[in-house]
Amino acid sequence: MEVTEVLILITSFVIFLGIGVPIAWSIGLSGIVTLLVSIDSIPAFTTFAQRMATGLDSFTLLAIPFFVLAGQLINKGGLAHRLIRLAKNMMGSLPGGLAHVNVVAAMLFGAIAGSSVAAASAIGSILGPRMEKEGYSKEFGAAVNITSSTTGLLIPPSNILIVYSLASGGVSIAALFIAGYLPGILTGLMLMVVAAIWAKKKNFPVGEKTRFPELFRSFIDAIPALFLLIIVIGGIIAGIFTATEASAIAVVYTLALGFFYKELKVKELPKIFLDSVSTTSIVMLLIATSIAMSWVMSFEEIPQTVSASLLALSDNPIIILLMINLILLGVGTFMDMTPAVLIFTPIFLPIVMEMGIDPIHFGIIMILNLSIGLCTPPVGSVLFVGVGIAQTTISKVVKPLLPLFVAMIVALMLITFFPQISMWLPGIFGF
Amino acid sequence: MNKLTKFLEYFLAFLMALMLFSVCWQVISRYVLSSPSSFTDELARYLLIWIGLLGGAYASGKGMHLAIDLLPAKLKGKSKSRLQITIHTLILVFVLCTFVLGGVRLVYITYTLGQTSAAMQIPLAYVYIIVPVSGLLIISYKARDIISLVRNSEEVTETSNQV
Repeated sequence: MEVTEVLILITSFVIFLGIGVPIAWSIGLSGIVTLLVSIDSIPAFTTFAQRMATGLDSFTLLAIPFFVLAGQLINKGGLAHRLIRLAKNMMGSLPGGLAHVNVVAAMLFGAIAGSSVAAASAIGSILGPRMEKEGYSKEFGAAVNITSSTTGLLIPPSNILIVYSLASGGVSIAALFIAGYLPGILTGLMLMVVAAIWAKKKNFPVGEKTRFPELFRSFIDAIPALFLLIIVIGGIIAGIFTATEASAIAVVYTLALGFFYKELKVKELPKIFLDSVSTTSIVMLLIATSIAMSWVMSFEEIPQTVSASLLALSDNPIIILLMINLILLGVGTFMDMTPAVLIFTPIFLPIVMEMGIDPIHFGIIMILNLSIGLCTPPVGSVLFVGVGIAQTTISKVVKPLLPLFVAMIVALMLITFFPQISMWLPGIFGF
Repeated sequence: MNKLTKFLEYFLAFLMALMLFSVCWQVISRYVLSSPSSFTDELARYLLIWIGLLGGAYASGKGMHLAIDLLPAKLKGKSKSRLQITIHTLILVFVLCTFVLGGVRLVYITYTLGQTSAAMQIPLAYVYIIVPVSGLLIISYKARDIISLVRNSEEVTETSNQV
């Protein structure tokens, strides 16, 4: 019985998505088609409308628009280039110097804002031209920028970890945030190793070593930006305020700094607010239809069907985790991250929890897994932004992108099979 | 239609500012005034529903929602505009059924049951009214897109007849 519904759901979704219906509407359409199989039209429509509206009725989700807004303010308010200067002075003298600058800047950016698209566009537009001037190929610069900006999804604050907390039915956001640090840094280091090898092979230039006074000055200069990290993450971990309140404080703080640096004007604010509303509402519509879809799936008992068939194949946790990894890699290439987390968490989480895998650890695995999808065609949003900013094409970027992909996959395997990487830090803080 | 979009832009930016204010007020009232306010949590959540759905309608008017456009990008001329009309029509039908029909019924049910919110005591129907309102907006944007596609393809056939 349920198998029919699974088939209807998947087939209709693939068709809608394939002919080019936007992802949010494809999810909604296939959800409603599946629901119509088992209940009458009017109650189905009403329930769907109700699920969409109540799905957004969440104090946790409120953090997303605020972190998006904070990211924009960091970008426009002069904080981004202070962070990049610090990263340059730290890393510029390594082989493939500017590539490392890019990775470290992305990690710093990810540590104070929650969006990888914002990181890719901010860092790519500042560093990209400079890399080209120093003799790096445009494509290599774009590839490094695209992959490294996904580290911000693991390094807190991270909007997608907030979405996961919601989808998993309340895994602590503070715990997820702390858990994300080491995996995010590990992924960044992996990318740096590959970038260094690639740069040596291609004889890309090495920057001059920065003298200490200059490094110190750029560090002092970046302190107000870095202080945001202490307020936001410190405040959440210490339980002074919730993630949502921290995100609102981050907005106020970045606003104040932007005005202090005289890089923001009151006149620009409506535009900045509207831009963040647009970004937010694209995500929110995805969330609304995904939550409705997720409800349809549990109503049709689809998670049970999927889990039964997965467990029928094997009961070895390693094999199951590998299979889930593969499925998520596939899903990540065709689906945006937010709906993927909302739809697949309720399916996979019960399975892995039964095998004794911690929901925090699984969240990190899932996000890193789907991050890889952000850098692959045909849907990867970060890929499009990175390629667009570097003014090159996807087919040209593929070659330098491949070794960086391999680095991300290796990081994914390490993080999947060594739970300590994710669980050690939260353990220290008593989660 | 353009005026409406302009109005929507300012209204959405205003809602965002209001939402920011209400969450900040929540922190201030708890730590500075030490009398936690009870309505800010609820107000911010309802504002998010409004921003999400109304903003979703706005983004839909601007064609900003993410899609896989491999197929539309491959096609040309008439078959391309036919496909685009199909896509817009699918969205229109979905929105008509769920946002508008389902949404109106949702508003009606919560209104007749007299459900009110816990803290602010406002009727929930006022919150949910945004579902059919956003639905109508999306439908008018999609209708606009379909009409202009149909017109353009007619023009294309006319000129090709002349050639």
